[in-house]
Amino acid sequence: MEPQSYARMPRVKIRELRDDYARFELRDTDASIANALRRVMIAEVPTIAIDLVEIEVNSSVLNDEFIAHRLGLIPLTSDRAMSMRFSRDCDACDGDGQCEFCSVEFHLMAVCRNDETQDVTSSDLISSDHTVVPVDFSDATIDASSDGISGNKKGGITIVKLRKGQEVKLRAIARKGIGKDHAKWSPAATVTFMYEPEIHINEDLMESLTLEEKKEWVESSPTPVFDIDPVTQQVMVVDAEAYTYDDEVIKKAEAMGKPGLVEINAKQDSFIFTVETTGAIKASQLLLNAIEILKQKLDAVRTSLDTVEADDQFGELGAHMRGG
Amino acid sequence: MNAPDRYERFVVPEGTKKVSFERDTKIMDAASFTIEREEHTIGNIIRMQLHRDPNVLFAGYKLPHPLQYKIIIRIHTNSRSDPMGAYNQAINDLDKELDHLKNAFEAEMVKFSRDY
Ligand SMILES: [Zn+2]
Repeated sequence: MEPQSYARMPRVKIRELRDDYARFELRDTDASIANALRRVMIAEVPTIAIDLVEIEVNSSVLNDEFIAHRLGLIPLTSDRAMSMRFSRDCDACDGDGQCEFCSVEFHLMAVCRNDETQDVTSSDLISSDHTVVPVDFSDATIDASSDGISGNKKGGITIVKLRKGQEVKLRAIARKGIGKDHAKWSPAATVTFMYEPEIHINEDLMESLTLEEKKEWVESSPTPVFDIDPVTQQVMVVDAEAYTYDDEVIKKAEAMGKPGLVEINAKQDSFIFTVETTGAIKASQLLLNAIEILKQKLDAVRTSLDTVEADDQFGELGAHMRGG
Repeated sequence: MNAPDRYERFVVPEGTKKVSFERDTKIMDAASFTIEREEHTIGNIIRMQLHRDPNVLFAGYKLPHPLQYKIIIRIHTNSRSDPMGAYNQAINDLDKELDHLKNAFEAEMVKFSRDY
């Protein structure tokens, strides 16, 4: 007999979706699932990041570890990460962490030969795997000769600047990892969710206010949640989600001697997610990977026939008493 | 200098079982499950899922200490169920929910790219 299931069937609605950004509604579930997804997206979805740097030449103004740290923080395209091995689990290279199954090799060579300052950027990194390369932030809509942020000519993330005669030459090994180990492996720039607010205006009580009072009450909200209809002069909700659960309008109503003017509840089963990635993976893929990782985690904590009964109290005697 | 390695937080040491359980010696149908190298992410979803099971009288989890990388889930059921059964069913139901969520999101992605 199939045992009764208490599983929920959540619903999703996407509001906005770009490569590195997603905004969606999650309904018919609870905060534990929403929060588990958020936590997994930030700290447990794997990406690839530089983890070992061998510096051959460095005559720049930055010391070796400074450059190594900066290299580690450069986001690399990590669609391969889910199917890659962690170096610690890799038997092909016996924990060396330098084989094709668990690592990607990078080379960087830069010499400044001109009087002009030379930028060494993430686009100077030469990858051994064309699917794992520094994330390209250059926007086709912005003038291609400059990335508009750092002012460097070729785009990419600035690593170090060289003056005439200075040189950087290094080899770097990128490995699979998770944000829990080091934040450089986190694919998430921001992942947040909010409870969907439910706002009820007591219309009868609201109509007992003068237009001046209505304006004053609407203004009391620090975010633009309410507005007044210019024709009917009725107070209406223009953007419920702008509400930050600050209670200001409720306090204002009480101060005006109109308690119960508005009732605001957080719906316990509806969430609005905002997901922004570093570019290492797409925002939509981040959610799908998080679901997959969470499923794997659940699978790992299933009990099986060889799950042992902890027996700290009696030790071997306990096992003996149970006939073991 | 004597800080534990970062991977200590999520790699189960060799010779240690991921999950073990201990029956309560005084109460019928009560037990504690110790899960190694897990924290609130897993603890909280299992606890909340157990609360949806009417045969579960009590379900709670704790992270005993921030430097002990394990959680303890305590379950007490009525006689129609048992802690092991309730625990496994909670995991299966969560797995089902996540499968559904994955399909729902993928369907929504197709719909979204068509409509907008
Ligand atoms: Zn390897």
